[in-house]
Amino acid sequence: MARNFMAYPELRHPFEETPIHAPGSTTVLYQGNTITLTHTGEGNGLLVTAEDLTRINGFELKPEGACYAELCVPIKDDMLVEQGGRVWFDLTAFAELIGQPYVADVESRVWSFGEIPAKRESMLVNAMAPDLEVKDRQGKIIRLADLKGKKALIVTWSSW
Amino acid sequence: MPVWQRLYEEINDPNFVIICAAEDTGGEAVAGPIFDAAKPTYIQVVDEDHVISSAFNFVNVPSAAWIDEEGRIVRIDEGTYAKTHQIGEGDQAFTFGTDAYSPAVKDWVAKGAASRYVQSAATVAGNIRAYSFDQLKAGAAFRLGNLFRAHGHQDKAERYWKLAQELNPDSINFIRQDLTLTEEGSAGETFLKVMGEYASAGKEYYRPLDL
Repeated sequence: MARNFMAYPELRHPFEETPIHAPGSTTVLYQGNTITLTHTGEGNGLLVTAEDLTRINGFELKPEGACYAELCVPIKDDMLVEQGGRVWFDLTAFAELIGQPYVADVESRVWSFGEIPAKRESMLVNAMAPDLEVKDRQGKIIRLADLKGKKALIVTWSSW
Repeated sequence: MPVWQRLYEEINDPNFVIICAAEDTGGEAVAGPIFDAAKPTYIQVVDEDHVISSAFNFVNVPSAAWIDEEGRIVRIDEGTYAKTHQIGEGDQAFTFGTDAYSPAVKDWVAKGAASRYVQSAATVAGNIRAYSFDQLKAGAAFRLGNLFRAHGHQDKAERYWKLAQELNPDSINFIRQDLTLTEEGSAGETFLKVMGEYASAGKEYYRPLDL
């Protein structure tokens, strides 16, 4: 049978099955980035170090809460969990607090996080461009914030 | 892609950039040659995870956002073709797009806020699709499916792509991207059925261009 327009069925199973990450590691997806964590705490949620929190979504732990630029979210006491002489940050509890959706495949130890609503308010209310960075085909990181002073036309398309 | 390159060259303004993003899980292998054929000098992105569509609540391609020097969006989410395109000949001919779009972009680059094509913040905010929690969650599910597919975990890839489509049934991108991996392709019977349902529900496949 002749293949129909914009059909690539051979791409459905293109890859050999390979591990997502090394045994014991955890993978986090956020805004197109794939972050591998070598250490996480034990529990039902995703417990990460303060350093990994920043690697994942840019938030930093400060006395006033979890902060990203001018946005600071006071955190609840039970979001900081002591285990094995370390303090872990409960990233899934934080996501629930700020209304950030996520989908987890706990069996494979992969957490995929959606957009953070508070980071998008200025777009939805004041039409300000969202906080976004992408890589171009040469691997260069393009940040919308770095385009200030220029007009930008962002166009999506697809091969399909 | 050549039409965007032509527009970019005609405008030829160092303070104007085009970011052209392929929303394509097929990645460089499928989007790269199409880009290369246009010999583009604008910024090219192969957005396998549809991150840009998620960021702007786009449900379809092509879509666009115009962003001014201050980072303010001044137009958003329209069926964005740089010219009128035609598929087929004679009675079978099907046209889409408009020749009015490129001149509008040129006018905006030349006149800035004085361009009649610039929309107010309130209009733009109103034109951004309102996404529910589940629709935001759909983007996370789609990317999870992509990761599993890239590692050959096909059952989980299918599960999470299906979940993405259930969580955000408005996303033509998710539906058609999945259909590319079938024999019928992204423009076959299933797509036409989905289009019909979309229209019956009063949803806009593209927001009408208000130029």
